[in-house]
Amino acid sequence: MMESINKIIGWMPALIQSTGVTLALSVTSVAAALVFAVFLALGKISRNAVISKICGGYIFFFRGTPLLMQLFFIYYTMPQLVPALNIQSRFFAAWLAFTLNVAAYLAEIIRAAIQSIDKGQMEAARALGLTRSQAMRLVIIPQAYRRMIPPICNEFVMVLKDTSLVSIIALTDLTYQTKIIASNKASALVYIPAMLIYLVITGVFTFIFNRLEKKLSIYE
Amino acid sequence: MSIIKTENVCKSFGTVEVLKNINLTVEPGEVVVIIGPSGAGKSTYLRSLNRLEKNTSGKIWIDDILMEDRVNGKNLVKMNSKERAEILLEMGMVFQRFNLFPHKTALQNVMLAPMNVKGVSEKDARAKATELLERVGLGDKLDSYPSKLSGGQQQRVAIARALAMDPKIMLFDEPTSALDPELVGDVLNVMKQLAEDGMTMLVVTHEMGFAREVADRVIFMYDGVILEEGAPEEIFTNPKHERTRQFLQSVL
Ligand SMILES: Nc1ncnc2c1ncn2[C@@H]1O[C@H](COP(=O)(O)OP(=O)(O)OP(=O)(O)O)[C@@H](O)[C@H]1O
Ligand SMILES: [Mg+2]
Repeated sequence: MMESINKIIGWMPALIQSTGVTLALSVTSVAAALVFAVFLALGKISRNAVISKICGGYIFFFRGTPLLMQLFFIYYTMPQLVPALNIQSRFFAAWLAFTLNVAAYLAEIIRAAIQSIDKGQMEAARALGLTRSQAMRLVIIPQAYRRMIPPICNEFVMVLKDTSLVSIIALTDLTYQTKIIASNKASALVYIPAMLIYLVITGVFTFIFNRLEKKLSIYE
Repeated sequence: MSIIKTENVCKSFGTVEVLKNINLTVEPGEVVVIIGPSGAGKSTYLRSLNRLEKNTSGKIWIDDILMEDRVNGKNLVKMNSKERAEILLEMGMVFQRFNLFPHKTALQNVMLAPMNVKGVSEKDARAKATELLERVGLGDKLDSYPSKLSGGQQQRVAIARALAMDPKIMLFDEPTSALDPELVGDVLNVMKQLAEDGMTMLVVTHEMGFAREVADRVIFMYDGVILEEGAPEEIFTNPKHERTRQFLQSVL
């Protein structure tokens, strides 16, 4: 028992370092995806049919194919098709795949939240002389935004766990590091601290998000 | 000189004809009450005046300016959007379900459009909103969110919000239908006051007492047409049309 604990403590520096990669990848890709997703969502509900179709098609594609394949595609296939698009950095390839993929999911969350706002809100705003974009900015989005917080937080927690997929392109995230230790040291024990680390991170974020949600629902 | 005039206004949703050749002229300062059974097209008509609904055909003048001349849904009147928006601002609208902005306080609801549409300064917008809310009896609710107000209070905020844009015409679509009976009076009193101050008003309502007391003219709509119109006394005591008689019996 003592021996196992010592072993685990010995692995901790490497595990924690790779946790940094997992966190950096999740946070930066979700943040970038969020910005992209706002445009995709507004594009999809746009009255311009071409823009709406393009955004709808994008969302359909990235939600309709496995993330793992998208990752392979960006890292392996793209350089073959267009050599100029050869992405050397594993981190950047993973980041790009996650950003593009997560944006599609977030866009659907944002679109659903916007469309869940009562039609009467847009009508009241228009009847007061606000333009459509003013009404969106001042009336619809501020209300929709509170409704998006919980599903966006859910999505973030999912992404945090899904980043373990990147071990497949040998990016040293927490999962990949765990696997390396497990095979080098021939000890499956390492999965215990690794899973605990995931649990702590998702737990902390869930706690923060719950607080945020409570704070934002004051007017209801 | 009329403030609203519509000529042969028609509206279809798909193949369903909801408005059939509506002709109506409203003089400045007139209070016109529109009554009629559910599905008659009353809301659709009001909404077509301020473009929440686009007509299939017909002409609309606001303040003697031709705004719409539609044929097969296409507007033949060319007007730049700024000019059109300005004329549409002459109309304020009050909805059955209030449609207040729930994330804004009463004061902020009233200040929003003047600041963002007319570019009024925050200070001036606040002063005016305060005055309007006091006028509708809500001087003590300035900082309340809609969710903390009764239906009657919410509707009075909605009236103040519309008035903040200085409209010449107020459109009311069943402003008291969603209210508990004991709250109806406060809203009707505000509307009465508005009428006395000379506001031009088009009011869809089932409040026959209000119509009798305040209306200059009552219009009975049925199945997309104006079946009958006249002074309230005339319509209520001596309806010409059998349908009008039946409708009045059902609501009185
Ligand atoms: N957006 C829409 N799409 C399809 N049909 C509609 C739409 N809006 C209204 N209608 C139809 O148009 C007809 C007239 O509706 P409208 O709301 O103008 O009636 P109303 O006289 O205001 O009735 P109520 O007293 O119930 O409010 C109804 O048959 C309704 O079903
Ligand atoms: Mg109606």
